Amino acid sequence: MTMFTPTNKIKRTARAVRLLFLASVFCVTPASFAQTSPPPDEPAAPQASVPDEETQRGLSGFEWFEQLAQINRTANFEVSFVLTKAGQEMVPYLWRHAVLENGIEAEQLNLQNGPGQEMIRLGNVVSVFEPDLQPYSIYSDAISGPIPGDLLYNPAALQEAYQFITIGRTRVSGRAAQQLRIVSRDSKRYNYQVWLDEETGMLLKLDMVDLQGSLLEQIQVTGVNVSELPSPYFARINPQALPGPVAMTPKPRQHQWEVNFLPVGMHEIKRETRRLAMTGQVVEYKLFSDGMVDVSVYVQPAQESLDSDVVLRHSTNTFLSLTNGQVQITIIGKIPPQTAYEIARSIRAAGE
Amino acid sequence: MTQQHEKLSAFMDGELSDEGFIDSIKNDSESLAKWRSYHVIRSGLRKEATVMPEFDITAQVAAALEQEATVLAPKSKWKSLPVVSSVVPFLRQSGQFAVAASVAAAVILGVQQVNQPTADDSFSTLQAPTIRVSGMPQAGMAPVSLEQSNILPGNRNGDIEAMLQKRRQINALLADHEQQLKLKQAEEHPKQATESDPNQP
Repeated sequence: MTMFTPTNKIKRTARAVRLLFLASVFCVTPASFAQTSPPPDEPAAPQASVPDEETQRGLSGFEWFEQLAQINRTANFEVSFVLTKAGQEMVPYLWRHAVLENGIEAEQLNLQNGPGQEMIRLGNVVSVFEPDLQPYSIYSDAISGPIPGDLLYNPAALQEAYQFITIGRTRVSGRAAQQLRIVSRDSKRYNYQVWLDEETGMLLKLDMVDLQGSLLEQIQVTGVNVSELPSPYFARINPQALPGPVAMTPKPRQHQWEVNFLPVGMHEIKRETRRLAMTGQVVEYKLFSDGMVDVSVYVQPAQESLDSDVVLRHSTNTFLSLTNGQVQITIIGKIPPQTAYEIARSIRAAGE
Repeated sequence: MTQQHEKLSAFMDGELSDEGFIDSIKNDSESLAKWRSYHVIRSGLRKEATVMPEFDITAQVAAALEQEATVLAPKSKWKSLPVVSSVVPFLRQSGQFAVAASVAAAVILGVQQVNQPTADDSFSTLQAPTIRVSGMPQAGMAPVSLEQSNILPGNRNGDIEAMLQKRRQINALLADHEQQLKLKQAEEHPKQATESDPNQP
């Protein structure tokens, strides 16, 4: 608290009032939310926030993420953040979230550089606008952006694979922050450092580090604005103008191979057989996820394959391909190469 | 003339320690031009081209040097360094052909790109093949450097066409992976809805 100048303190107080208001709203249904009157400027509010923070400091790692999930679903906010990957330019994003008057959640994620990319979610329909592509909509209750969805909304899903550890207080983006670590239970995956705003509980910074501790990917929040009312942006969206959602009906396919090794907490979420868009090659495909990272496994006949074993890193993805004369096995995902290799070597013909 | 060029090349590689050779280049404008362009080419090949081919500063340097007092310093002989002397014979072997060879490679690359099989060619896989994994990849693969791209030696036919083909396939797989992640949640959603029931106590 002491690090803030008086003018900042006034702003902080105003924010604290808003937050208190929000906190009280959390208990109410979203529908009644919009009807609630704006918060009165009570002088008592700043004092009331002090014990609140005292209790926050005692939260366990998991409770911090539960609180984050609740805020991400219920608050009206506008967040600017930049995504940096090792050896690449940083990419700025704007992320807005609101609960509209009719109780529907609205979310927007906008890539701010170049031709950009816009994703808009109304309820459980996500519409994607990209350059060079027809806009389309899919059913989903979260926008799939650079921040893992389970981290933002469903931390319970991460518990099987990761541990949450509180580290201590620091300062990030000019705010008092709580630092936490997300550590994989078997050291087969990369680890994460997370900084959450001590006052609002919102995400301020997320680092992905490799097993040696060097930084691979970083999300740094540069501005947060939490407000009582939804951003006027959402009022300008015309739901009728959005493309109609395409229902994805995955057809589960039988594959004649199985993956026998997976990191703890990683599960198959999809399997299919299809053609690659760029080359038309037929591949058998399985997708695995532990909530933080996704790993693709491709198996295809060796005669149209790479003809040699390849390991490379494409931005933060590991690409590993092995050929044994009959089939080519390819693993892609944000995992250490050793883990990718272990997964590839564990593939066996079904029933063997 | 050719012999002069060969000597020039050798001198650039630090192999020729003929005292009189410098003077012989200095007095020969053609050799001087060659000397300059060799250096531009070399730095270009090494991807450290800070000298633009058309940006000739040698004239200005020469003018500046005219004003300068002569500095007498012991001439360092590269040959006297143990490492360099063992490397140089190899350089001499390959160095003289390096420029010509790289030009040839560039030409082949250009032709190959034009004659690349079109995307339709690989669509000939009409029926989905059944895939059998009977054995395991036996390639002895050690943990690799994480920082750099590595293409492990499996097949030594370093054909350029195969190389491009390989790159195309890698890109196709990477693009597909990204696409799958984008659509992941959409497909995950109905699945979660059905799976969540048995999980509930």
